[in-house]
Amino acid sequence: MRTGTHSRRTMLKATAGAAALGLAGARPAARRAAAQETTLTVWDNWTRDVDSAMIDKLNAAFTEQTGIKLNRTSKSFDDLKATAKLALSSDDGPDVVQINQGLSDMGAMVKAGILSDLTPLSKQFGWDKVLPPSMAARNSFSADGKVFGEGNLWGMPITAEFVGVYYSKQKMADLGLKPATTFDEFEQSLAAAKAKGEIPIQWGDLDGWPAIHTYGTIQHLYVDKAYLDDFIYGRNNVSFVIPENVKAGEKSQEWVKADYFTPDFAGIGYDDSWTAFKGGQGLYMITGSWISAELKNAADPGFGFMLMPPLAADKPNLHVAGTGMAYAIRKSSAQQDAAAQYINFLVSKPSADELATTGIIPLAVDPALAPEGSLYGDIVAAWQSIMKNDTAGHYLDWATPTFYDTIVAGLTDLFGLNITPEQFVQQMQDDYGKFLATQQGA
Amino acid sequence: MASRAAEAGGRGSTVSRRPGERARTAYLYLLPGFLIYVVFVLLPVAQTVGYSFTEWDGFSAAKWTGLKNYRDLLDDKLFLGAVGHNLVLIVFYTVFPIALALLLTSLLTRRSIKGMNLFRAGLFVPQVMSMVVVGVVWRWIYNPVSGPLNQVLRGAGLDAWARPWLGDPKLALPAVGAIGTWVSFGFALVLFIAGVQRIDEDLYDAAKLDGANGIQQFLAITLPALRNEVTVVLVTLMISALRTFDLIYVTTRGGPANRTMVVAFLLYKNAFTINRAGYAAAIAVVLTIVILIVSYVVITVRMRTSEEA
Repeated sequence: MRTGTHSRRTMLKATAGAAALGLAGARPAARRAAAQETTLTVWDNWTRDVDSAMIDKLNAAFTEQTGIKLNRTSKSFDDLKATAKLALSSDDGPDVVQINQGLSDMGAMVKAGILSDLTPLSKQFGWDKVLPPSMAARNSFSADGKVFGEGNLWGMPITAEFVGVYYSKQKMADLGLKPATTFDEFEQSLAAAKAKGEIPIQWGDLDGWPAIHTYGTIQHLYVDKAYLDDFIYGRNNVSFVIPENVKAGEKSQEWVKADYFTPDFAGIGYDDSWTAFKGGQGLYMITGSWISAELKNAADPGFGFMLMPPLAADKPNLHVAGTGMAYAIRKSSAQQDAAAQYINFLVSKPSADELATTGIIPLAVDPALAPEGSLYGDIVAAWQSIMKNDTAGHYLDWATPTFYDTIVAGLTDLFGLNITPEQFVQQMQDDYGKFLATQQGA
Repeated sequence: MASRAAEAGGRGSTVSRRPGERARTAYLYLLPGFLIYVVFVLLPVAQTVGYSFTEWDGFSAAKWTGLKNYRDLLDDKLFLGAVGHNLVLIVFYTVFPIALALLLTSLLTRRSIKGMNLFRAGLFVPQVMSMVVVGVVWRWIYNPVSGPLNQVLRGAGLDAWARPWLGDPKLALPAVGAIGTWVSFGFALVLFIAGVQRIDEDLYDAAKLDGANGIQQFLAITLPALRNEVTVVLVTLMISALRTFDLIYVTTRGGPANRTMVVAFLLYKNAFTINRAGYAAAIAVVLTIVILIVSYVVITVRMRTSEEA
């Protein structure tokens, strides 16, 4: 789920110091042969000061290399989501737009025929080396926009996003704990923290979407990749009513009853919760890689990051993971080549290294830029392990166009102990089953 | 005054005018304003009504589906729930603020209080603040851990009363409603105080001579004199209760589990996040009709009672 993460980002003050930007030495020879001046209009989601400055720097380098001018507008996630469709269907809209994936955004745009097919570009530029198949799938739809997860590539993301467990190094030391290697050990550490009067897991769910990540992280322990892919991509008529999902619901409620979460988490906003975590409240916080920039400059010894440990040490579990928003090209744009060049420039290694220096995780991250023992190092290591083991799961809200609202409402009741895990999975299935029926009817 | 006299003179001089001509000239003056009104109000309204009969994702071609959206609305539990929540909000936006404002009016106007203007300005401040600011402030006030409300309760030994206000399934709607009351009552108060100042002081003196106490004076003199103000406040606040969007958007986004979902927010969700623009248009049409009916009823009742009086 990225609605929250991106809109949240826009509200954050950039805390990271201005990264040293500079692509000197990495620039290929300038190609200024183009006699006519070309200007690309680009809409993106890089709204934080630090990120925006980084993209401006990259864009300047692109213009210097190619002679193609850029007219860039950055918009918050909500803004982009609300305006991208109309803009891309207009003949004088932006040429390149960062769009949200999923059925109600990328899917709807493919259906309306307003996006350029990026499949040939991917082959031409070798993007498939950066974008492994599991990540390409979430940016793919059939040509009619109906089938999610296969077919053509319609957008090219450049960053990775995934959910894991942040921990306070100080509290770990105080409690005599080490990062858990199994889920059992993890739960024991929760009990140990609770016994010492510590908040085991810092959490605020007033915004609703954080529950998707919390439940998702637990659920991803029990389900396998084939099921999850089927569920998200609407294949093989799978159901949400399976014992694993019920089990995840039971575990969620068990943690609520054991007071493992921040007291009154239902009334605390996401921003308030990570601020409290940064300020020393809570041993763990289960949330996404996007928050690392806010936590990396905390006072020593600071924070570490690990993936949720597996049920059994030799059986890797799945993790809620995906890519950042995807760069897409307006089909009616007269500047397809320039747009492709621009996206390829952002995908290229010099740009990826620039992202890494800023503390963002590019899809093809160079581990040399992630110092071991640092928070960024932990996160990069986690992403590489997800890629190596092919354990990227999904944001559950992508299952149907209405699933975000359905699961946020259902999880609020689940974590509020207002419904049973059985009722919860049934509610989810009501939405999902209805969606499958319309898909097959269409 | 001078200009009005000149106007009258001007009118008097146009003797040789054919019937209807004056009206035509008047319409000509109205034309620019009317055109703007047509382009920016009437046409969009007509378009919205048109879209409400279609299945439309907001950017590709629309498909005519007749009354289907309206039929679906009747079965949509989320929509019916939202209507119910709006009705509850009407109580918080109108009944409570008006009652509170009337009480304060009678207290504030019958005695001269030092720094009265300061109080009035202070009580009106919520009304001039942006709803987004109000929402952010109250989100902080209601924060269960660091917010002042729970801290005051805990400080007073009322730990059991401390709640995750906006996240509590039973209390979230009243908590949001209370913000509405806080915002609205300053508006009611300022209008009522202005109204009271028009009342002839002799009426109160006469009443006092007759031995009427404060409450009797309020019921017999103040309240009847404020009928017009009450009507204006009632209609304005009812409409704002029915249109509530920003407050929900900032505080709860309809949560927990849709228990603060209101019609306008549901409309927004349908139009902008799940691509059901046709359905959203139907919601908009229903909301508009309800607002028109409510306003019409309140104003008609008011006219009738004033005729009786």
